Amino acid sequence: MTAPILEVENVVTELGGRRLHNGVGFTLQPGRITALIGGSGTGKTVLLRECIGLIRPAGGQIRLFGQDILSLGPRAMNRVRQRFGVLFQEGALFSSLNVADNVAVPLREHTPLSKALRDRVVAMKLALAGLPPEAATKMPSELSGGMKKRAALARALALEPELLFLDEPTSGLDPISAREFDTLLRTLCDSLGITVLMTTHDLDTLWGMVDRVIVLHAGQVIADGPVDEVARVDNDWIRTYFSAHAEGRGHGI
Amino acid sequence: MTHTPTPSSPDDAFHIAAGQEGVCLCMLGDWRLDRLPRIDAALGQSRQALAGVQVVDGSRLEALDTAGAMLFCQHLKDAGLDPGQLRWQQFPQRHQDMLALVRSRMQESTVVTPARGSLMHQLGVWGARGLVYGRDYLVFLGHVGEALADWVRRPAAFRHREFFVQLEAVGVGALPIVAMMTFLIGVVFTYLLGIQIEKFGANIFIVDGVGLAVARELAPLLTALLVAGRSGAAFTAQIGAMKVTEEIDAIRTLGLSPIQVLVLPRLLAIMITLPLLTFVANISGLLGAALVADVQLDITWYTFFSRLQDVLPLYTVWLGLAKAPVFAAAIAIIACQNGFSVSRDARSVGEHTTRTVVWCLVSVILIDALFAIAFPKIAP
Repeated sequence: MTAPILEVENVVTELGGRRLHNGVGFTLQPGRITALIGGSGTGKTVLLRECIGLIRPAGGQIRLFGQDILSLGPRAMNRVRQRFGVLFQEGALFSSLNVADNVAVPLREHTPLSKALRDRVVAMKLALAGLPPEAATKMPSELSGGMKKRAALARALALEPELLFLDEPTSGLDPISAREFDTLLRTLCDSLGITVLMTTHDLDTLWGMVDRVIVLHAGQVIADGPVDEVARVDNDWIRTYFSAHAEGRGHGI
Repeated sequence: MTHTPTPSSPDDAFHIAAGQEGVCLCMLGDWRLDRLPRIDAALGQSRQALAGVQVVDGSRLEALDTAGAMLFCQHLKDAGLDPGQLRWQQFPQRHQDMLALVRSRMQESTVVTPARGSLMHQLGVWGARGLVYGRDYLVFLGHVGEALADWVRRPAAFRHREFFVQLEAVGVGALPIVAMMTFLIGVVFTYLLGIQIEKFGANIFIVDGVGLAVARELAPLLTALLVAGRSGAAFTAQIGAMKVTEEIDAIRTLGLSPIQVLVLPRLLAIMITLPLLTFVANISGLLGAALVADVQLDITWYTFFSRLQDVLPLYTVWLGLAKAPVFAAAIAIIACQNGFSVSRDARSVGEHTTRTVVWCLVSVILIDALFAIAFPKIAP
């Protein structure tokens, strides 16, 4: 088996005097799409931010590409950062730059590309993310929610990452755009061989495109596996979660 | 299959050779983002050789990313080849998938550069923008007038809480800084004027000069500038942040008028407090002046203030105080209008706050100039 991309071991998080994670652990193998689910306030986003080194857990270990990110110096951490991409919940596009410049930021900082070459790579990334060429010169404030997510995805993909972190990629999108975005992610991950860890609330995403689901509840991982297995786990929260959505779905897919 | 390197590949990214199945391009090593410039140059130099390629071999390709795939397809196209018509052999599945994806998106990827117009075009855009700003201010003034009229008809609708909060923030909060600044200006002005006036032995006339300068110009103007920077910027930032978080829309949706709720309390608070602050500025400016007059020019406090009473007409003091509400109205209107025109992104708040401060300072000084033209006399 190949070396794991991300290993989270026994992570303990305390926020505002409250214990949010009490020994959370999981391992990501390359080339799969994994979703973190859990009720609001269970610390999915916090866990994601710990994995990318934005928040420091109170205890435990996090290894990205085999390196313990909690003991890395700033320079080594920056090298690790170039190997993964992050799609923030609201996109987090720089509001002072247009879409093309937003995507060009990581390229300008970390690659020796000339301007002409960079422009072509940026145009390619925008097309990969499913944006029309006209979108390149728009400012983030002129984009719809779906376009913002696509532009942010293009920026996350700019440095050809091996691993993508997505924080609620389909939140705020209408069901049609959400499914399109799912398909886009699936296509990209399959053909580019990218590993994905996402947090989500979207059951359609879970059933439609995710290989593996990790359920966070009361500070711990209570289930871990393919969607259909997790949905059958005998736990109150999981049952309510899946049935609440299923009833609203009418006669299923 | 054997390949022999040819001079047509100056870099070790690929080589082109004739094989059994036609001219074959063999991709070598690492085709990733950080090697892109070298690969680009190498492909550019072998354009002619590239045009004859019939087969692409991936057996010795170690790594490929979308940028590398894009660049390769781009060069094949530039050389007049259709990547779809070539034979691609010995590519691992993941590279085939990536190449297929990149090829399918290639048509949609075009480099768009933002259009930049000529100087005349720019001038036109600026001019038009200026007109739009002007119209926006007029519309805003109209709304404020409407809200004021509404307030006169229904005084109960006035937001007392917000009004008193602003009164405290704009007035009480600014007291120490206003008092300190004008005191210092009084000291400096008297000191410099005193050095000149001593040469003529006309010490006592320092009172005439300082009294006029402080009451008529220094106190009202400095106070207005301080408040413009302090409260004007705060108004824009507060209202702008509320705009970003959609609070303004919420106010409107709840059936309230944002002008009524946010602008009127600020407008009235600043119009009431600025004259009061100006009065404080008058006092502390004159105190500073009296202190220096006592130390430097041997004019006792008693002499200073009794002379002041003789030579400073009340008219001048009133005129100075009368300017304050006009300055205040301009500051409030500019600051609130800029707050409302913030668009929903972070950068916009900063941009409009800057604009508020600049325009408040400019308009305060312009209004002061108008007052000087309209009321040139020292006494009626």
